[in-house]
Amino acid sequence: MILVITEHREGKFTAHSTELIVFAQRAGRDLGMPVHALVLGSAGLDLDGLKTAKIDRILTVDEPQLTSYDPDFYLPAIKAILDRQSSSLIVGGHTTQGMDFMPRLAALLRRPLAAGCVNYEKVGDRLVLTRQVFNAKMNLKVVPKGQGPALVTIVPGSFPGDEMETGGTPEVEAISVDLTQVKPRRRLLGQSKAPRGNVDLSSASIIVAGGRGLKQKENFSLISELAEALGGAVGASRPVVDAEWLPREYQIGSSGQTVAPKLYVAVGISGAIQHLVGMQNARCIVAINKDPEAPIFKVAHYGIVDDLFKVVPSLIKLVRDLKG
Amino acid sequence: MKIFSCIKPVVDPATRLSVNESRTWIKTQDMTFVASEADNYALEEALRIREKHSGEVVVLSLGREEAAKVLRAGLAMGADRAIQISDSKPRNAAEFRVAEALARAIQKDGGADLVLAGVQSDDLGTGATGVMLAEFLGWVHATVAIAVQANPEAGTVQVERELEGGVIESVELSLPAVLTIQYGANQPRYASLKGIMAAKKKPFDVWSIDDLGVEDNDALMDIKELAIPDKKSRVEILSGTPEESVTLLVEKLRKEAKVL
Repeated sequence: MILVITEHREGKFTAHSTELIVFAQRAGRDLGMPVHALVLGSAGLDLDGLKTAKIDRILTVDEPQLTSYDPDFYLPAIKAILDRQSSSLIVGGHTTQGMDFMPRLAALLRRPLAAGCVNYEKVGDRLVLTRQVFNAKMNLKVVPKGQGPALVTIVPGSFPGDEMETGGTPEVEAISVDLTQVKPRRRLLGQSKAPRGNVDLSSASIIVAGGRGLKQKENFSLISELAEALGGAVGASRPVVDAEWLPREYQIGSSGQTVAPKLYVAVGISGAIQHLVGMQNARCIVAINKDPEAPIFKVAHYGIVDDLFKVVPSLIKLVRDLKG
Repeated sequence: MKIFSCIKPVVDPATRLSVNESRTWIKTQDMTFVASEADNYALEEALRIREKHSGEVVVLSLGREEAAKVLRAGLAMGADRAIQISDSKPRNAAEFRVAEALARAIQKDGGADLVLAGVQSDDLGTGATGVMLAEFLGWVHATVAIAVQANPEAGTVQVERELEGGVIESVELSLPAVLTIQYGANQPRYASLKGIMAAKKKPFDVWSIDDLGVEDNDALMDIKELAIPDKKSRVEILSGTPEESVTLLVEKLRKEAKVL
């Protein structure tokens, strides 16, 4: 059995949960295994969407301790599910939540964790999982071994959620788990959205974003000038914000803003997966980077492999001439 | 407070990485090793907590000479002492083994109030080790910390975590606890010349992993292949001089993509 540990936030399943189901459906077909979706803290959650998925079973646990996420309660709940029925593959999200409990579960079970998977293939009767490593510059193929479950976390965006097979009639089974013996060690004090300031990149139709390749703060004026010439907005990758060249609200990526403009120009951005997930849906992506192996070229439509300090001034001049 | 700060030695990400002959990992011979970037933020956080609440910061790493090197750098930054877990095995993908070894060493040293580690490493980059370490110690943990407020009198630590989409979560944990520290949580200090000189006199223990009771987990996962992914991508590389390539680019953006 393949066990998918779904994620939900504010009473709704996350879009990534659907992607996890898609991975499990495909792996389940290849391995000839049923797919069970586990919903922890299911009280008040709308299961209708999940009920249409072509999977075998939905397991719900709605103990009050599971309403808000706490790994100390998640772990014994998952363990109790596994004790009832053994699983060959446990699937979680490669998200801040998934990577908060999956490694602990692996250590608890003493079973392998293939974290950060983007693809898989079936070789013989085994799964060969492809993990993104070295800042998404390389792929590492691994094969979990031994008796008992293997654990995987799936990178968001790897399996398109709109390819979920529907038309299933999974049986919903509510399971009660005794969590009264677990002593809380963690108290949730609150959640807040980081202030965005006045910068809302989500509505910009052209964005010019700069990265570490700009080398120093002073050089960021190249990005502003190009953005101005194109009539677009300025964005940045995480290292730029960490180095305090620009305030946090300009950051594009998994811990910043997600954007999908008409035109996205990435300058001196190598394209860590955390950045790619925030901009890969742009209609047209241009990458300017001197490293031909930079992952940004994997998502770009047009690329210039050259020194940005030569390319960008030329581009600014050309665009200004055309408009002027 | 007694704080452990874990440091992973990685091949300097600024160098050009290539795949080794057996295609199982990168070439490491003759490469320069540095502390994995996020671990510097963890050490800086540990030093700040010590400066506020007194106590000691112990830097901990697993590996051969590369581990000794990053530990010496940690001492130069201001840690009080270092423990190197020597391991003759290649370590590539074995977060499991690293996490258990770190946990056993912390226990052998008498435990701690806090263990800090970088949110993820520059090589595998999955962020698993710190969380596994917490399980092996049996302690509570919090990941992706951007702000840490220790309260040793109350036996707690307050942590702000950075979740997806700019959501900040605030949690309070009871000590002892393991925290993984996010990139940019602080500005790591540079080692001063004085710090580098003082580091030479600080206690530096070397323990063998074989003496720590770490189980052999090699049987858990095989590495089949490390490869640079195929660029089956859609990208069209525009070549020529900078003037030629940008002229071509603007033309394509206007006529082909129709976005200008």
